[in-house]
Amino acid sequence: MNNSFFEIFKIFFIIGIQLLGGGYVIVPLLKKYIVDEKKWMSEEELVDYYAMSQCLPGIIACNIATASGYRAKGVLGAITAILGIIVPPFLCILFLAKILTHIVDYPLIKNAFWGIRISVVILILLTIKEIWAKSVNSIFSYILFFIILICLLILPVSPTVIIILSAITSLTYCQIRRKNNA
Amino acid sequence: MLKLYFLLFWEYLKIGIFALGGGYATLPFLYYLQSQYNWFTLDELTNMIAVSNITPGPIGINMATYTGYTTAGIIGSIVSTTAIILIPCTIVIIMTKLINKFKSCNWLQDIFTGLKPAACALLASIGLKLLYQNIVYSKIEWSFPVQINYQAIILFLILIIPFSFMKKNPLLIILAGAIGGVIIKSF
Repeated sequence: MNNSFFEIFKIFFIIGIQLLGGGYVIVPLLKKYIVDEKKWMSEEELVDYYAMSQCLPGIIACNIATASGYRAKGVLGAITAILGIIVPPFLCILFLAKILTHIVDYPLIKNAFWGIRISVVILILLTIKEIWAKSVNSIFSYILFFIILICLLILPVSPTVIIILSAITSLTYCQIRRKNNA
Repeated sequence: MLKLYFLLFWEYLKIGIFALGGGYATLPFLYYLQSQYNWFTLDELTNMIAVSNITPGPIGINMATYTGYTTAGIIGSIVSTTAIILIPCTIVIIMTKLINKFKSCNWLQDIFTGLKPAACALLASIGLKLLYQNIVYSKIEWSFPVQINYQAIILFLILIIPFSFMKKNPLLIILAGAIGGVIIKSF
């Protein structure tokens, strides 16, 4: 089993390059490289880490990379994995950001980005459609969703405040319901 | 300048802790940053979302790098990217050790029952605000009278009808938007 730091960095670098269109794509990639090829963890562990990564704060792909790196070679392995997965997109973005500031004023590019902005709205709407069934599926969640949405549209509330308040509301509500059922 | 780096670090640290549920969850926070500090314009932010979608890498990281770069150059991008992953990754390392205890912990599930619709509502508010901003000329939010941008409505309808029946493909949607934008604007 070859799990030197360089090997960990290399594998996560390769995964980082292939990550296109959001964090969820990382699961099949980890399955292929880490579970099947390198055997640094079992498939069951991957499923556990994925579930855990979704419930913890942070970007899902980074969380799951951290967990896999940690599993392979402790804390330093985790840091190596994060670096491996972040370096390719980081360089890509810097490169694109530099180019874009130079070409964004050409009429053709301007018009293309005018259209792309509408694509982004559609992307956001489609993402909501995707997570809707898993997120808003009970009377409690419907009420919470609409109260928060109306608040956000009227007032400039910080998302941090919204997240903290909903966590407290939800914890209180579920604990009371558990007690009543018991 | 040093003060700006600290502010950047602090804001992205908060995003790292409170943005739950993937890259798109960071959008409401970035939108809020935009309204608070004016580090970048709303149009720039929307362009960044598009670029982050078509570049390899987790969207949340791409957005942090890009917004950090626009705000304070290369050092800014290093600061924002480090800040956004710092606390979550520390938590993950601790949790990986304790994963078996974590599985049977019901208060965490209780918190998530409410966080999921909250994250959904945060994203929905951004979607509606961006939709409004793109289809009317008014620069101020929710103000009247407004002038409606018919070209934008046409492109929106042309794009959303076929794509809502397909599996989500960011690359294709952005490409179609770019081509559609060039064609419609040339009339």
